[in-house]
Amino acid sequence: MALRELSSLEKFLGLKKPNKYSTQGDKKVPVLQNNNGPPLVGLVTIACHLVKEAKRPELLGDSAESRAVVQQWLEHRVTKLDGCTKEDIKTILKDLNLYLQDKVYLAGNQFTLADTFMYYGIHPLIVDLAIQEKEQYMNVTRWFDHIQHYPGIRHHLPPVAVLRNRIYTGRHH
Amino acid sequence: MKLFVSEGNPHCLKVLAALGVTGVQCDVQYVNHEERVVPFLSRPTLPALLLPSGLHLFSSNAICRYLFEVSGKDSSERCNQWLEWEATDLQPALLQALHMAVLQGKGSEVSKVLQGPLNYLDQSLSKGNTPYLTGEAVSVADVVLWAALYPILSDSSLALGECKSVKTWFDRGAAVMCSFQAAAQKVLQGKGLQGMKSYMQRQPAPQSSQCRDTQSCNSN
Repeated sequence: MALRELSSLEKFLGLKKPNKYSTQGDKKVPVLQNNNGPPLVGLVTIACHLVKEAKRPELLGDSAESRAVVQQWLEHRVTKLDGCTKEDIKTILKDLNLYLQDKVYLAGNQFTLADTFMYYGIHPLIVDLAIQEKEQYMNVTRWFDHIQHYPGIRHHLPPVAVLRNRIYTGRHH
Repeated sequence: MKLFVSEGNPHCLKVLAALGVTGVQCDVQYVNHEERVVPFLSRPTLPALLLPSGLHLFSSNAICRYLFEVSGKDSSERCNQWLEWEATDLQPALLQALHMAVLQGKGSEVSKVLQGPLNYLDQSLSKGNTPYLTGEAVSVADVVLWAALYPILSDSSLALGECKSVKTWFDRGAAVMCSFQAAAQKVLQGKGLQGMKSYMQRQPAPQSSQCRDTQSCNSN
């Protein structure tokens, strides 16, 4: 899974030469061999490295504050979202829904790497949601649909249908 | 900017250590464990940093990284890797170890869950052959790992195996982060591991399978 995400990220970034990755441990943590030094280990570490290699630093945030917010959601992805239990799912979606209430993207008004990897991580959860639940987590669904239609992001994942007409009308006063 | 911390919460040690090392000016407010500081999180989560923009940071590692960045020290790729390792590998093992030592009175068994991550850290330090994790100077990685391990490594009653490089590195940190000792005393109320009891009692019991993963992961 993690390796497919990294390969999708490489395509999104337009990196010409695809990297070869290995994994270590039961959790299959990705490892990138590095010609200039010791290997890089970990999904977030490698993803941030690829972004720098592609000279797209704005994807990591354009201010100290937004860089901190991006790193926080990347960490949230690999510590809370990965390996979450059934009971955790509701809390994760509820909290994210409240967070996204007044935001277009996770770091505010700017698309970042945090959106990419939270989207990859939350995809299996959204696939399993019933229609009523998608309505319950309206802000998550809106954000999710936005990201899956962002140019060059979806790659290895199938699109998930969200009911536009019921999400974008009604509930608003 | 305002930092919210609570007594007995080991994650708060990291941000207080980072504040001490960077010298960033920031209000620090001690609140109760149960206080919901971050408006969008259903579970009380501390530490939390209220940013000038009104946003809250709720990850202790992200807060430490931010404090380093605003004091003019950007974190390197090596730092990023240590922070990710700390969050994904060390923390699940530490949670399990603290649960055993603080709540179950099984301090003697702590090494079972922690030896894997500690050996990994020890090997990296001895291979790197630099005084600190990422080079000649203290980085955010040293501060985060040092504070995360502080409750365990500063308790001499816990039987941990020989990790010479970790010990040397930890003692060097203690000398550099002298301002931190006072904060650690306050967070742990001078009671060491037992100072975390009421905090640990409010945490969900760790999943033992996670810790098995951590161990096998690090033995590779």
